[in-house]
Amino acid sequence: MNTILILLPLVLTILFSLATVPILVWMERRIAALIQDRLGPNRCNINGIRLGGIIQSVADMMKLVLKEEFLPSHIKNKFYYLVAPSIAFMSAFLTFMVIPYADNVTINDKTYYMQALPTDLGVLWFLAFAGLGVYGIILGGWASHNKYAILGAMRATAQVIGYEVAMGLSLVSMLITYGTINLNEMVIYQSQSFFIIPAWGIVLQPVATIIFIITAFAETNRAPFDAAEGESEIVAGYHTEYGAMKFGLFFVAEYIAMAASGALIVTIFLGGYQLPYLSTTELINNFELVLWLIIAFATVTSLMFLKWVKKHNILAMSGLNETKVYTTIIIGFTIFAIIVMSYYALGLGEASKIGVMLLQFAVFTVKLFFLHFVFIWVRWTLPRFRYDQTQKLGWNILLPLSLANIFITAIVVVGVNYGN
Amino acid sequence: MGIKVVKRHGGTFLEKMYLHAVFGGMKTTLKHFTTNLSDASNIPTICYPEEMPRDITPRYRGVHRLTHRKEDNSIACVACFMCATACPANCIDIVAIAREDNVDEKMPQRFNIDLLECVFCGYCVEACPCDAIRMDSGIFSVIGDKREDFIYNKEKLLSIKGISKEEYSLAK
Repeated sequence: MNTILILLPLVLTILFSLATVPILVWMERRIAALIQDRLGPNRCNINGIRLGGIIQSVADMMKLVLKEEFLPSHIKNKFYYLVAPSIAFMSAFLTFMVIPYADNVTINDKTYYMQALPTDLGVLWFLAFAGLGVYGIILGGWASHNKYAILGAMRATAQVIGYEVAMGLSLVSMLITYGTINLNEMVIYQSQSFFIIPAWGIVLQPVATIIFIITAFAETNRAPFDAAEGESEIVAGYHTEYGAMKFGLFFVAEYIAMAASGALIVTIFLGGYQLPYLSTTELINNFELVLWLIIAFATVTSLMFLKWVKKHNILAMSGLNETKVYTTIIIGFTIFAIIVMSYYALGLGEASKIGVMLLQFAVFTVKLFFLHFVFIWVRWTLPRFRYDQTQKLGWNILLPLSLANIFITAIVVVGVNYGN
Repeated sequence: MGIKVVKRHGGTFLEKMYLHAVFGGMKTTLKHFTTNLSDASNIPTICYPEEMPRDITPRYRGVHRLTHRKEDNSIACVACFMCATACPANCIDIVAIAREDNVDEKMPQRFNIDLLECVFCGYCVEACPCDAIRMDSGIFSVIGDKREDFIYNKEKLLSIKGISKEEYSLAK
C-alpha cells in the first residue's frame, strides 16, 4: 500500500502525459471532423474492434516509430540536431510533474502527496519548464540549417518571450489572490464558496483567466498562435528537416505541452480536483451518499452510451461484432463497479479516503479532458493570427491588462485584509 | 445608380475586444459538433464500400449497356458503326454480320468496348440512331484482375440492366 501510494502520482503523470497522446490525436481528428461535418478516421481496426478510431492513432504512432531514421547530409552539428526534439519533449513532460491529482491522503498518520513532485514551488517549476520547451524549438530550427526552420524557430521564440511575460504576470495576480505558490494549497483554497458560487479562479479572477488561457495557447504553439509552423508561409516551420520519430517527438511534445497547460489551467482556475461545494473532508464524511450517486450516474451514462453506440455503429466490420463487444464490456464493467462500490458503501473505513482520492482523480481527468476539448475546439474555430498581430496582442494588450489586473487585485486584497 | 455605402466593421470597442466574435465563432462550431455527435446521419460523408452513393440517377454516365428490342427481345443494335465512329477514344470494336431472322438487315457479331480506353463521354449514346447503346446502368466502378476483364463483349453488355424506367430500346 505504501509503495503503491508513493508511485501512484508518478504513474499518473506518465499516463496523463504519454498515454493520453493517442487519445488526444484521436480527439483532435474526430472533433475537427465533426465540427466540419465530416466523420473522421473510423476504419482502422484490430479484428473488427475500432474503439471509435483510436486504433488509427496507434497505427500512426507505429508508423512514425518504424520509419527510417534519416539524417539530411547538409547538417553539420548532428548532436544539436538530434538533441533538439528530446529537449522539447523532455521539458513538456517535466512540466506535468507538479500538478496535484488529488488531495493529500493521510493513512496511519502518514501523509502521501498526490503530486509527482511535491514541491512548494509548483508554479515556478511550471513556468521554468514551459519556457524551456522553446529551447528545443530554437535549437531544432537553428541546427536544421534551413531558412524555413530558422524563420519558424524565430517566430516561436519571439512569441514565447512576448507571452511568457503576460502569463507570469497573470499568474502573479492569482498568487496574490490565493496567498500561496503551492499548487495543492491553491486547489484547497478553491473548495470554499464565494457567496453562493464556488470560489474557483475563473470566478475570482476572470480577466487573469482569459489572459492565462490565451497565453497558454501561445506558449504551447497551438492555433490560433501556431505561426511557428505556419505551413502556408514557411513549409512546416521548425520541424521542416525532421522526419520519422524525431518529428514524432516534436509532435508528441506539442500535445504533452497542451496537456500540461490544460492541467495547470484546471488546477489554478477551474478548481483542480475539487467538485463544486464539496471539500475533501465533506466527501470523506458523506462517502456513502456520494457512492450511491456515482452508481446512479454510472448506470445512466452507460445506458445512454450504449443507446448511442447502437444508433451510430451501423456499418459492420469483418471480425468480431463490435456493438456486442462494447455492450458486454460496458455492462460487465458497470455491474462490477456497482458491486465493488456497494460493498464499500456498506462497510466504510479507511477505504473512504482511497475512494475519495479515486473520485478526485476522476474529477481531475474529466476537467482536464474538457480543457483538451476547448483547446481543440478553438483550433478548429479560429484562423491563425498574422505574426505582427500576435506580437501586438501580446505586448500592447495582454501585458498592460495583466499589469492593471495585478494592481486592482493587490488593492482589493489589501483592502479586504485591512477590513478584517 | 446611387453610391452604395458599405458599413465597415471592426471600429467599435466590442469588436476591437475580439472576444465577442471569438465566442460567436465558437458557438457556431459547437453547434455543428453537438448536432453531428448526437445524430451522425446528417453528415454527408458516405462510408463507401458499405454505403453506396445515393445520387446516381439514370442520367449518370455509367458503364454502357446494349438494349433489346421490345418485340422479340433480340439485340437492338444494327451494327451501323455510328458509335465507333463518334468514339473519341476508339474503344468500340464492332464486326457486323447479316441478320437472318428478317427483323433487320444487320447485327453485330462482335461488339467489344474496352473500358480501360473509354473516357465515358457519352458520344456513342448520342450517336446511336436505334437507342441500342445506353449508359444508364448506374455502374460507376469497374473492377478486374487483368486487362482482359475490362473488355466487355456483346453478351456482357446485353446482360447489364439499366436503372431507368425504359428497359427496351425506344427506336421505332
